[in-house]
Amino acid sequence: MTILLKGIQIIHPASSYHNQITNILIQNGHITYIGPEEKTADQVITEPGLCVSIGWLDMRTWVGEPGLEYKEDFWSAAQAAAKGGFTEIMLMPDLQPVIQSKNAVGYVQQRAVGLPVTLHAAGAVTVDVQGKDLTEMIDLNQAGAIAFTDGEATIQQADVLVKALHYVQYFNGLVMQRPRDKYLSQLGLMHEGIVSTRLGLKGIPALAEEVIVSRDLQLLEYSGGKLHFSLLSSAGSVEKIRQAKAKGLAVTCDIASYQVAFTDEDMIDFDTNYKVDPPFRSPADKAALIEGLQDGTIDALVSAHKPQDTESKKLEFDLAEFGIINLETAFAVANTCLKEALNLENIIQKFTTAPRQILNLPIPNLNEGEPANLTLFNPTKKWVPQKASTASKSDNSPFFGTELQGQVFGIVHKSNLVLNPEY
Amino acid sequence: MQQLSVRHLLGIKDLTPADIALIFETADNFKEVLSRTIKKVPSLRDITIANVFFENSTRTRLSFELAEKRLSADVINFSASGSSVKKGETLLDTVNNILAMKVDMIVMRHASAGAPHFLSRHIKANIVNAGDGTHEHPTQALLDSFSIRERYGEVAGKKVAIIGDILHSRVALSNIFALKKLGAEVMVCGPITLLPRYISELGVKVELDVRKALAWCDVANVLRIQLERQQMKYFPSLREYTLYYGIDKKLLDSLNKEITIMHPGPINRGVELSSDAADSHHSIILNQVENGVAIRMAVLYLLASQVA
Repeated sequence: MTILLKGIQIIHPASSYHNQITNILIQNGHITYIGPEEKTADQVITEPGLCVSIGWLDMRTWVGEPGLEYKEDFWSAAQAAAKGGFTEIMLMPDLQPVIQSKNAVGYVQQRAVGLPVTLHAAGAVTVDVQGKDLTEMIDLNQAGAIAFTDGEATIQQADVLVKALHYVQYFNGLVMQRPRDKYLSQLGLMHEGIVSTRLGLKGIPALAEEVIVSRDLQLLEYSGGKLHFSLLSSAGSVEKIRQAKAKGLAVTCDIASYQVAFTDEDMIDFDTNYKVDPPFRSPADKAALIEGLQDGTIDALVSAHKPQDTESKKLEFDLAEFGIINLETAFAVANTCLKEALNLENIIQKFTTAPRQILNLPIPNLNEGEPANLTLFNPTKKWVPQKASTASKSDNSPFFGTELQGQVFGIVHKSNLVLNPEY
Repeated sequence: MQQLSVRHLLGIKDLTPADIALIFETADNFKEVLSRTIKKVPSLRDITIANVFFENSTRTRLSFELAEKRLSADVINFSASGSSVKKGETLLDTVNNILAMKVDMIVMRHASAGAPHFLSRHIKANIVNAGDGTHEHPTQALLDSFSIRERYGEVAGKKVAIIGDILHSRVALSNIFALKKLGAEVMVCGPITLLPRYISELGVKVELDVRKALAWCDVANVLRIQLERQQMKYFPSLREYTLYYGIDKKLLDSLNKEITIMHPGPINRGVELSSDAADSHHSIILNQVENGVAIRMAVLYLLASQVA
């Protein structure tokens, strides 16, 4: 199978072809030619305005398999990921059962065979993500778990986090913490502020995130190792991490791409598709997140894909589950909302090289002789996500019916070209 | 006929000052009707109203039911303790089952903030919010402002202190919205742990000392301590609350002016209000209850004119 990408713009700063509009020939899953010649191929892609980058990697996808397959299974998640331009996704371990054994990692790898995207497993830090006893992280790492996190759960106990940060140094491993103090956020439903006051909804103060960020940075200084904060939302957290990075601490962080789309002011009619955790915060917080992306304090953008079935969302606000699907829209949302703040290659970098550096994964290259791990997209094309055509099993998205700019054309990965049927 | 700007009464937030004025004028007429020998009017004949209460209520439910009957509506009552979800049926299913029996309007009380707003996106019937969690209780706020207007001739310029558990009170929130729209000055007073952190951004004064609040105000709206709505501890004991925030006749007499005492009920006698204060000439608590029927008649009447 040969594919010719004709007249396509390369977006990959590490490549000598960066920003060039050229032709790429792919033969049996490898890039065999980049240049002006129009080689013959079984399939020729000649789509105006198309760009190509190395394949996007989402380092925070929650899939319901095993245990909650009715929300999302590997197959549906892979379709959504491919449609959203991701060639690789890292799955969260907080499932039923929790990914905390070699067998569970093996199950993920076995189920990934035949899917268009690569599934990476993250292992749990603590048994049953209860925050008490460490899992067999060395063994899990040997089996293929590429990072360790308790997923939605925060490691509340300082001594447990210190032990984890110490323990994974055996294999230069990464601990990921999603910062939220259990007590300060108790029963909270949205950002604590004037909007939560007006709506009579219990708030989740930014403080609940910031006290854990502060504490964990201090713990990291003590223990050494590598710590990654997932899903930041507050200005205070960004500032603390900026200072920690300046001090040389091995800390990285990400935000959900949808955090740059909304603030708490968008929640006025109790729509549960705006109920996410961490919540949409104030306009000042959103501005600080964007600033953090600009100066590199925030390393990566993630989908924070959290599928929820209708029965978990079509409810009273306080009873509905947190989370939204975002694999299919992650890039388009960032591209739409950040176009004034970041240039295209910076946005792409947050989905490509940054997560791979954090996870210590090899960064694919875009040169002749390299395996083709590519995402094809049009950064200026406008489209409207539709509920009826979502690839996910769930449809909890606030973006349906909203025009976004930047659409994925398809991915080339595992020797296959997978096209977005909606393009 | 003049109409409200809204199809549902979900909250005071959604009403314009003109809406509130219209409700008050309509309530004036109904209050006159209620003083007649024959207290019933045929206005809502052929309209069926369901009172759907997912939280315990005595006075609000009775007040709505009486208002509906005085207007000649057909009335059905549904009450379930706890949320419908716990029974295995969703709120939407419960209400759709009731609506399938050709009900025109829903009066709903629910423990979840925003529950009537959720419903309004999925059903056709007109909805009156009879209290949603810690969000709003619009008819209570309307009857409170109506009672202040009755006492003083107008609400604008009056100083109203809302005292007690502001954090868990839908009455407080709706009252703040209503009083601000009507031009009153508003103060909230209570232990700081029971005051929402951002409450002053609603344009209200904040006071921790109940004596200072009483000395400032023309009207004190004293709230019930909502122990049932506090899911964690916000203050040490009722004893200490009563000592430092309880209002009694002695305290009222020590002010060198006459103020009006209001309470949405039910009163915890001896906690937030002593009996001698609740039963004193300062109190208009029973006028509030009486006005509640007229206000609810006005709201139902005005919304019923929009029944499809």
